[in-house]
Amino acid sequence: MGTADDAGVYQVSPDLALIQTVDFFTPIVDDPYDFGCIAATNALSDVYAMGGVPKTAMNLVAFPLGTMDIKVLRDILAGGLHILEKAGTVLLGGHSIEDDELKYGLSVTGFVHPDKILANQGLLPGDHLILTKPLGTGIMNTAVKAGLASAGQIRAVTKLMKTLNRDAAEVMTGFPISACTDVTGFGLLGHLAEMIAGTRVGVTVFSDRVPLISGAMEFAGMGLVPGGAFRNRKFRENMVSSHSRISPVLRDLLFDPQTSGGLLMGCPENHSQQLLNALHRQGISDATVIGQATDVQPGVMTIV
Amino acid sequence: MTTDINALGLACPQPLLKTKQAVDQLHPPRLTVRVDNEAAVENVSRFLKTRGYEPTASGQGDDFTITAIEISDHGQGTEKSMKAESAAALPGDDTAEIHQKILVFIANDRMGSGDDDLGRKLMISFIKTLGEMGDDLWRLVFVNNGVKLTITGSPVLETLQEYDRQGVSILVCGTCLSHFDLLKEKQVGDTTNMLDIVTSLQLAQKVIHP
Repeated sequence: MGTADDAGVYQVSPDLALIQTVDFFTPIVDDPYDFGCIAATNALSDVYAMGGVPKTAMNLVAFPLGTMDIKVLRDILAGGLHILEKAGTVLLGGHSIEDDELKYGLSVTGFVHPDKILANQGLLPGDHLILTKPLGTGIMNTAVKAGLASAGQIRAVTKLMKTLNRDAAEVMTGFPISACTDVTGFGLLGHLAEMIAGTRVGVTVFSDRVPLISGAMEFAGMGLVPGGAFRNRKFRENMVSSHSRISPVLRDLLFDPQTSGGLLMGCPENHSQQLLNALHRQGISDATVIGQATDVQPGVMTIV
Repeated sequence: MTTDINALGLACPQPLLKTKQAVDQLHPPRLTVRVDNEAAVENVSRFLKTRGYEPTASGQGDDFTITAIEISDHGQGTEKSMKAESAAALPGDDTAEIHQKILVFIANDRMGSGDDDLGRKLMISFIKTLGEMGDDLWRLVFVNNGVKLTITGSPVLETLQEYDRQGVSILVCGTCLSHFDLLKEKQVGDTTNMLDIVTSLQLAQKVIHP
């Protein structure tokens, strides 16, 4: 089945399709166990964003055997397994190679009913857009690298990146979701751009409602914006129409590349309050309506 | 005297950190920073603005030079921090010296134990009297059963809204609101998280837990 989306989809029978995805990266936190948790949470996220349930997974490991204690790898894998268990996903095996630089990630396979697949395109004019996690992991991780983040801030952002999108995905099954994606490397506006590129809808983004990680705005103001945010912005600049009162700092945050970010979902306006309430009841307290689809300027993201 | 920093070939956030180090230690009236990508140009320029410098950038491709001249002695520049917390935390903040920062941490809708009706009356009276602290009253934090004081029908709602208008910051625990399914009922204050609460407790000069 052809979708240019978060993951690949293959229809097995009239009532079953496979979702397959793979994701791996170099460490973003110091603690190996946490890194394992985050990598697994991130890899599972694509399946949730497609409306699926992750069933099986395989580990991918690149490890510097000569220079690094094998205990590090054991902790990473333990972290990954912990998250897989939380997601009800079975680890079937994996593959490891020796490499100068440590890398970890997973390939994940999920199930979905072919009629229930959530693509990232499909927004209709008037739809509300709901984001389930606050933005700023890229900036916070840059601040961590710079040694400027407090222990509390490090814990908070780590916890956020370890939070599965499972509960948000479960809530979505009870609502008429028009489109969904997870916010990762391209940042909020980068992924939003993918949702509307080449379609007949545009979006208005309510910048003052976008949830932000506590501290991210300050660090962005100091100049701790990762290069990825600038690349994301350059790439999609021509699709953005920004009100002059929007500060460059906030604009960069909207393009900040996210690790294991939240789900970004569209649903008809008359269902959005109920959907929001349901998300809050599930403990997803950051979930917020951050924008609305419109037919006024197709393909344009208007930041107000 | 000009301080020259060469940050060519350095990955983010290293160019910024080298610049920060130079500014913190040498406090030069004029400095130049050479970097090899546009992201670093923006980041370093932004940082220098927050430190009272006026930066201008030149160059292209993979060689840029940022030239900055100090225009003010004060560290806090054009990009004012958005969060009250950090503004309050800045050393030398005038208001902090004049007024105390008292935080009242309210974890229940009644005061003390023994008789609940009495406890509720006491809490109403307590909150209505808090205003007597004047400008020393900095922040109210509501958690657990305390969040019920911030919702529709609360006997102290009007008092809290008045405090809010007077500039007292009011934080209401989001986890608690969602636990009681009261997110929609909250009528005053900002919904917050544990990190903000812990940071508030740290920044406060005095914490009162009735």
